Amino acid sequence: MSSKVIRVKEICRNIIAVGRNYAEHAKELGNPVPQGNPLIFGKPVSSIITEGSIEIPQGWKELHHEVELGVVIGKSGKFIQEEQAMDHVLGYVLVLDMTARNIQDQLKKQGHPWFLAKGFDTSCPISNFICKSAVKDVNNLNLQLTVNGVLKQNGNTQDMIFKIPNLLSYISKYFKLEYGDLILTGTPSGVSAVKHGDVIEAKLDDLVQMKYPVIEHGN
Amino acid sequence: MSEENEKIDVKSICTNIIGIGRNYKDPSKEFIPTNEDPFIFAKPIRSIITEGSSIQIPKGWGSIIHEVELGVVIGKTAKFVKEDSAMDYVLGYVLALDMGRCLDLTKYPILLHKGFDTACPISDFIPKSKVKDVNNLSLKLTVNGEIRHDGNTRDLIHGIPKLISYLSSYFTLEYGDLILTGTPIGISTVKHGDLIEASLADLAKVKFPVIELQ
Repeated sequence: MSSKVIRVKEICRNIIAVGRNYAEHAKELGNPVPQGNPLIFGKPVSSIITEGSIEIPQGWKELHHEVELGVVIGKSGKFIQEEQAMDHVLGYVLVLDMTARNIQDQLKKQGHPWFLAKGFDTSCPISNFICKSAVKDVNNLNLQLTVNGVLKQNGNTQDMIFKIPNLLSYISKYFKLEYGDLILTGTPSGVSAVKHGDVIEAKLDDLVQMKYPVIEHGN
Repeated sequence: MSEENEKIDVKSICTNIIGIGRNYKDPSKEFIPTNEDPFIFAKPIRSIITEGSSIQIPKGWGSIIHEVELGVVIGKTAKFVKEDSAMDYVLGYVLALDMGRCLDLTKYPILLHKGFDTACPISDFIPKSKVKDVNNLSLKLTVNGEIRHDGNTRDLIHGIPKLISYLSSYFTLEYGDLILTGTPIGISTVKHGDLIEASLADLAKVKFPVIELQ
């Protein structure tokens, strides 16, 4: 086993996120569950943080947390077949897909893309890297998030609508995946708002945990 | 120093592509300014191709739309940049095509329809010093020899300093990052077998064949 430490922020050049991939989360926001194909969107690599605080842009007042399993690509591929998909996985990270929900709603009303609401600086806090071999069953991992010690999200990857091989196969039809790319696989229900002064803690099973305080810029 | 600049391979230094939509006035109509913030989206850096490659329409899509744009390449880390110093952060430019799927993009997630592999063809890098007046550059595009776009950067709604200032208030822009500043009118569709040619004043010219994947 290689003893080299993988620093995802240094190797990642592409983040593709999957929305509405847990039925209960789609329901809680009044969104239809995707029929047919996964719903995908992007976050810029400039949004990744591995330490420090989540910063709410000045005037936005609050953000929503979304705790997710992140898949890190190890082997490049295009048109990846589902049966070979897991061979392309290097490992995992725990991720928060921070979202400015009120901004997102405004953008939707204006017919604008979501990018600003999902891609601002510090909107993609991640944990340390987890080797693929450290995970016994990726389809049975507990995802937990607390805000100021109060449990908000408590889900399991078994509830993903589109599983990882399906996601990698679909995404790689349109986007060549490269070493270091990060796929965010969706969030379970329980999203809620956080504001200046709150502290988010999240856990991926017994594999990794992380803590990020939230501040509002200019506060 | 300028010789070094001319060897810049934007595809290898770029970590972020931000696209701006709805950013050109129609010169044939009266322009009514609104208070709207810029319309912003992103394209993955993998979507960049350079001459010699074909634009590849994903299997089954039939046709895609073209847009011709001035691309701004960032020269140093930019965050909370003020408009009056924004041009100091510009390294140079590219001519870019922003290819996309012909759907109402207000209804569909934009990553797939604007970001698929080969959706961002670009020219060679143009150093900033080569551009006398960035606010008076012609942008032209033909499909199979027929003119589709024939615009000028003077019709930009949000100019480059405003865009750099606005974007850097939310996103840290890094050396090599690319901002696609919008397209003049003339969007139309292309399909398998078409040939796109485009030019940015006398600074850059590109030619890209279009194929549909089978």
